[in-house]
Amino acid sequence: MIARDRLEQLRAKFGSAIQRADLPGDDRLYVFVEPATVKEICRYIFRDLDARYVISIGADDRPYSGQFLVAHDFAFDKDHVLCSVLAYLAADNPQIDSITEAVPAANWAEREMRDLVGIVPVGHRYLKRLVLPDGWPEDVHPLRKDIRWDHVPKDFDDEREFKFDNPPEGCTVVPFGPFHPTLDEPSHFRLYVEGEMVRGCEYRGFMAHRGIEKMAESVLGYNDIPMLAERICGICGCVHSVAYVQAVESAVALKPPPRAEYVRTIMLEIERLHSHLLWVGLACHIVGFDTLFMQSFRIREPVMWIAEKITGNRKTYALCVVGGVRWDITPELKIELRHVLDKLEAEWRAVVAAVSGDKNIQKRTVGVGVADKDLVKNAGLVGPVARAAGVGIDCRRDHPYAAYDRVEFDVITAEGCDVWSRVVVRMTEVFESIKIIRQCLEKMEDGPLQLAMKDELPVGRLGLSSVEAPRGESHHFVITGENNRPRRWRVRAPTYQNLQAIPAMIKDQQIADMTISLGSIDPCFSCTDRLETIDLRSGSTRVWSQKELWNLTRAPKASP
Amino acid sequence: MSSSLISAVCGGVMNVIVVLAVAPLCQGVLRKVTARIQSRQGPPLWQPYFDLLKLLGKEDIESGVSPAMQRFTVYLSLAAVLTVACFVPMGFGAPMDGAGDVYLLIYLLTLCGVCTLLAGLAAGSTYSLIGISREMMSMIALEPLFAVALVVGAMHVGSFRLNAVLNGSVYASSGISWSGLIMLGVIVLSFQAFVQRVPFDISEAETELMEGPLMEYSGPKLALFKYAQMSKLVIYSALFVALFVPWGSGLWYPLGWVLFWAKVFVLVLLVTVVAATHARYRIDQAIRYFAGLLAVAFLALILASYGY
Amino acid sequence: MSAVSKLKEALVCLKAGRVTLPYPPQGHPVPPNFRGRPVFDATKCTGCAGCANNCPAREILVFDVCQEIRILKYLGRRCTYCGRCADVCPEKAITMSQEFETGTNQIRDMQQSSELFMSTCQRCGRCFTEPTVLEQLKLKGYRQDDLANERWIFCSRAYLENDAVVDDIRIELD
Repeated sequence: MIARDRLEQLRAKFGSAIQRADLPGDDRLYVFVEPATVKEICRYIFRDLDARYVISIGADDRPYSGQFLVAHDFAFDKDHVLCSVLAYLAADNPQIDSITEAVPAANWAEREMRDLVGIVPVGHRYLKRLVLPDGWPEDVHPLRKDIRWDHVPKDFDDEREFKFDNPPEGCTVVPFGPFHPTLDEPSHFRLYVEGEMVRGCEYRGFMAHRGIEKMAESVLGYNDIPMLAERICGICGCVHSVAYVQAVESAVALKPPPRAEYVRTIMLEIERLHSHLLWVGLACHIVGFDTLFMQSFRIREPVMWIAEKITGNRKTYALCVVGGVRWDITPELKIELRHVLDKLEAEWRAVVAAVSGDKNIQKRTVGVGVADKDLVKNAGLVGPVARAAGVGIDCRRDHPYAAYDRVEFDVITAEGCDVWSRVVVRMTEVFESIKIIRQCLEKMEDGPLQLAMKDELPVGRLGLSSVEAPRGESHHFVITGENNRPRRWRVRAPTYQNLQAIPAMIKDQQIADMTISLGSIDPCFSCTDRLETIDLRSGSTRVWSQKELWNLTRAPKASP
Repeated sequence: MSSSLISAVCGGVMNVIVVLAVAPLCQGVLRKVTARIQSRQGPPLWQPYFDLLKLLGKEDIESGVSPAMQRFTVYLSLAAVLTVACFVPMGFGAPMDGAGDVYLLIYLLTLCGVCTLLAGLAAGSTYSLIGISREMMSMIALEPLFAVALVVGAMHVGSFRLNAVLNGSVYASSGISWSGLIMLGVIVLSFQAFVQRVPFDISEAETELMEGPLMEYSGPKLALFKYAQMSKLVIYSALFVALFVPWGSGLWYPLGWVLFWAKVFVLVLLVTVVAATHARYRIDQAIRYFAGLLAVAFLALILASYGY
Repeated sequence: MSAVSKLKEALVCLKAGRVTLPYPPQGHPVPPNFRGRPVFDATKCTGCAGCANNCPAREILVFDVCQEIRILKYLGRRCTYCGRCADVCPEKAITMSQEFETGTNQIRDMQQSSELFMSTCQRCGRCFTEPTVLEQLKLKGYRQDDLANERWIFCSRAYLENDAVVDDIRIELD
């Protein structure tokens, strides 16, 4: 079925509730509906049509249409369709029925909508603050258009703390984070522990929220944003920059030249290689096996060097502009890349052969951090976590982008649903990536690297893009706008969905398994949170009290 | 003072000095070999000496629940380990042979373990309490193993005196010493746990517990604690060599002494290689493993009581 | 069996040997197109401010002291080393050098300031407002060639490298 067929199904069931539908192609569907019917339509799409939930987005559209906008994105993986259910809400009372009763995976997205835009999801069963810091005043919503991007609220309450739930009976509270050797980025998991078993967990995160979306909507331009997008994450930067430019290109119906698509594919797969190799090393380090950690990093290093040779930097490739790429893969680089891949494949096969029979590692990872098919569906899990549960979703095959429709590869799944299956899936995906890069190097066509864009981009168009990051599906939503910048840009990283399942995965498991369960979703908190504070110090040395530091960071500074 | 008393005290002091001098070197070897296995350069062999000096010079931050208890625990820990050193034959006979017997040795070894518990308790933070609960569980299953080995040896030679037992006594049975070989196997399989290395360094799992019982220790306290841990490696290796591979120690000085330290060195290398190639076990898996070994050890004890 | 796997893993490790580089005496060589610290050449700069307009981090500032003097200042704090300034510069006055060891405790070490003399129109005495130098080239009064000796006085080398040679005019660079 293509997008049109799905629209016909929705029309047949909901008729007049659908006000308008945009069908830019066979693979995208934008349905504008009455706010009161959003919940039923989402339930129908999620349960009856068996779509996968992606994200919910809130936007302040008041300067343009006088209303707020809510969008719920779904994916029909087998039909290669991305669909968005949108509704306009009255400006004086932005409320909408929460869809969490039908779609439990929308938990965080709706809380974020409430925190940042002020759209209240009525009927949400756990409407606590998610993104904003504890002391932030209640009625200041940063993503609204009347709030400046560097706004400092006057009545920020230093002393207010986050009110955690009470622990269940008989449990002690073990705080995990924000400072912990295993976590690379700060987040707080409040574990309720009975002896050595974890009985429950509460998450308080978003400590590294950086206000990226607000900056993109206020101060940056279309071609500046890829530089920002690739810094969302310390490992999957290329993914976000490609997803963003693809969303804009999809919004304005531009197709980059074929050579650019091949270059994007190659860089994305190089990124997947280094990310998976890093992750296997990290997982071994978490279970105490430092030797394999060192070896994985040693094997991974040539990938970083070749990326540096192609793009000029090991990780921040600065690759994409809207309509193309900036770097080319010359014939010398092709030869060198092939060498690197051959050597990598040989070494990695040796490691995989060794690790597959290793009972010592398997004892720590089999049966741990279980996420079965039901949890995958209800929580909307993506990436290797879903594939290790037997759910074969992969955006490269389901929603083809860049040059993936021209190469052949397998989607690796496993049936174990546990951490060991995720290890196996990631280790095997390395070989698929190598296969894809080799095919791209052969099939690459000559041609320009960028489109010659002479006109300004049209305004008010919607664009969706799903890219398979090493951790899962990274989904970007863009509304193009005036002044060379988007009106709304929403980034949904894969960890955003996968983190929501952590309490279910670590329940009734031991504390020792908590770190490896968390590590097995390959969390990228930088992708998930999106603010930062700038900390300045005077030249003199003096011990600063916490209050003083906080005041200093919040004093309004002359921009920027 | 009688000359035997003087020589005993001197011998004990000599042992202590040797242990203090050699322990950081063994740690350095361990780190260097681990690094080479991991394709790295690794720190210089003398790095642990520098680390200890650095830590001793740092500010002592009192951050635990009861700082006085923390200080006491640290001194107790190092003192217990060094006292054990006085009783271990290191190339010569056990210097303070007359001052104690095998039972004292067993209790002193247990005291070393208890010091970790006290340390975590004095620190009082959530992670250190979890660490000591793990340590307690593993101690219950682990400490008896060495005790059984010593008792098996004592049974064979019919005496609890240190010099008699710590001289390969486990093999001195009336035939093929099954109990000796079984105990050799048991102690080899659990040696990593005694010296607190991967796969059995569970109570101080860095990635899970942020160093567990050692969490609130910094500066000089941490230096002494680390020193105690390093010395434990040497002590246990020496005990192992004395109990299970004593051949050649009777040779005239300096050959016997050199041979002894060579054997200790080989044991340290073995510990390093196993530590570098294994992942850490979970506490329940470790307890089951030790419980199994304990059952086998008791079997050896029964065999020893029948003279096998 | 686990022991066999451990042996295989050990083999992987031993085959690799030691890979630590003796940094800082000798590090890993950086490739020629490495995007390090940008270096601004004030002698080539024409003050078009293309770099300032295209910097994603807004780290290049433009300030006109008066009609004839323009200051272009690179602040270097949030520079993302993306190289867009170098791509856009029509005079190739910006190069992304190979330096990445730029740690310093004085932000002034990272800042680069170019004070530029902006030519004024010979007729009206004001500065041009055309977007690019190429556009400016096409306007009257921008060049003062030496007709007596048939010399084309052309200050900018960048375009000359890519342009086809013009047939019957001898081109000399000043």
